[in-house]
Amino acid sequence: MDNLSNLFLGFQVAIQPLNLALASFGCFVGTVLGLLPGLGPINGIAIFLPLAFALNLPPESALILLAAVYMGCEYGGRISAILLNVPGDAGAVMTTVDGHPLALQGKAGAALSISAVSSFVGALVSTIGIVLFAPMLSGWALSFGPAEYFALMVFAVATLGGMMGSKPVKALLGCFIGMSLAMVGIDSGTGVYRLTFGSLHLSDGIQFIVIVIGLFAISEILIMLEQTHAGKNAIKLSGKLLFSLKELASTGMTMARSALMGFGIGILPGAGATVASAIAYTTEKRINDKDSTFGSGDVRGVAAPEAANNASACGSFIPMLTLGVPGSGTTAVMLGALTLYNITPGPLLFEAQPAVVWGLIASLFIANLLLLFMNIPLIGLFARLLSIPNAILVPAIAAISFVGVYGIHSSTFDLVLMVVLGIFGYVLRKLAFPTGPIILGFVLAELMERNLRRALAISDGDVSILFASPLSVGLWALAALVIVVPILVRFRARRTAGG
Amino acid sequence: MMDRIFSGVWLCVCIGIAVSIWQMQVPFSYEPVGPKAFPLLLAALMALCSIALIVRPDHQGVEVNPALVGKGAALIGVLLSYALLFSTIGYVVSTALMVVAVSRIFRGSWKTSVVTAVTIAPGTFLLFDSVLEVSLPRGALLN
Repeated sequence: MDNLSNLFLGFQVAIQPLNLALASFGCFVGTVLGLLPGLGPINGIAIFLPLAFALNLPPESALILLAAVYMGCEYGGRISAILLNVPGDAGAVMTTVDGHPLALQGKAGAALSISAVSSFVGALVSTIGIVLFAPMLSGWALSFGPAEYFALMVFAVATLGGMMGSKPVKALLGCFIGMSLAMVGIDSGTGVYRLTFGSLHLSDGIQFIVIVIGLFAISEILIMLEQTHAGKNAIKLSGKLLFSLKELASTGMTMARSALMGFGIGILPGAGATVASAIAYTTEKRINDKDSTFGSGDVRGVAAPEAANNASACGSFIPMLTLGVPGSGTTAVMLGALTLYNITPGPLLFEAQPAVVWGLIASLFIANLLLLFMNIPLIGLFARLLSIPNAILVPAIAAISFVGVYGIHSSTFDLVLMVVLGIFGYVLRKLAFPTGPIILGFVLAELMERNLRRALAISDGDVSILFASPLSVGLWALAALVIVVPILVRFRARRTAGG
Repeated sequence: MMDRIFSGVWLCVCIGIAVSIWQMQVPFSYEPVGPKAFPLLLAALMALCSIALIVRPDHQGVEVNPALVGKGAALIGVLLSYALLFSTIGYVVSTALMVVAVSRIFRGSWKTSVVTAVTIAPGTFLLFDSVLEVSLPRGALLN
């Protein structure tokens, strides 16, 4: 019951006119950013974070805006996946498999509306999950000491390596690169300058916003130069715009199962929407695909990844809010946003800042409802936005990125650094490094180092404190498990394939 | 191949980081770990990953479209100049110039790029500076 009264408090925050307006604005812009191929939730939040900060929005309003943009992107990604066969963001990759064939058969309206409903169901199930489990987990997390936190973050990094699929080494290296970037600047414990190479501008460290905009928005501009979908034509919406009741009924179980699966995967630190939608799609295919309709335009093949995708996006708020350890690149950026407001996420957040936490949770409900209503009638408008030429879009993104970074310190150095980081990010992306881990590493590094040093200060340098409690031993074991199991699976797969 | 080149370069960066951290003068502190251990650990882990990528690269070569190399270089040049000119010649002028250049690089016609520039530059200035109160450099022209 305590949760319900807190949720009520949250709704009081979320329905304030300013917050409601920000949520609607965020949902709309988020959908647009999500549907534009290449721009995903991290870019969307990266562009809005500095603006929210420069506008002096109160923390809960800033967070509501960013969460609405995040949710909007997850809805928008499917539009280009279905109409253009190009996923609007990484979580929508699996949506192309059945979504585009449906569109080719003239059922784009059904595919889009059923995927909007699945997204809504996924997000709804997952947000209810947050209400039920987050306060519990945060109460439990109060018993975490620095050693347990350190082990938890090692687990998060290990999941990154184990779950990122085909490129574990690159995911890990990316994460460590992000961590090294966070080392630049004065060390708060001793006051020595680390890795500043004599530059005064670097003594405060690299600003979080500079890293995010450089690595995501600027590198995206360079990537867009090579985009090949320019010649492709989006399928025109025609015929029925809404699914039939039969189609809805056939996807009910799929939505429910995928939503639960997505929620579970979203909670895991390090594993995100891409993993969730892939697992949900393959599971549904295994259960339902009796006439092998999956892959050639089955509505369930659209419902599964979309429900899982959105469920995992909401679920990833849980580790960020309760433990202060982000589970995905996007929540890492949100965590950075909170730190800009001097709010430290973690178990104490629920007690210290109930308005922020519950306002955010309530606004997730509101944002998803708004998105459902926006995405069914306005789909024609969104579809038309797919045809904005890059010659107009790209300069606009560049201008907004520069304003965002300049807005923090009015520093030319930061602008140049942002462009340099953008070029670096471009090189990494060309080499097929996943970019989420880099920003996750940047955010985790300071927490990890601080907790490691604190733990060893308590034990006076005795390393065994890191393995002293059953909880930390369990986390270390899990970390070892997520690294070792995929290697064994791959090894066995190769042996069976070879012999 | 590109994987190997990058990993080789990054291995050197790791050594550079390690040397730079090693040479830091740390005042005496009561804390057992100090500021050196964590970055050194990171450098070691990155070096391990780089060596793993040199031994077993997973992505052979990157597709670089030769027709786009010039455009890419031009785009980087435009962005760097925009960064350097942003506060000296002011937001409106620098943004208008950047928009025309970037729009042309992205195959916009002269008409599109000029119209976009004339709309975006003053439009966003008014929006950010006057309505949203994010202060932007005015530059010599508007002072």
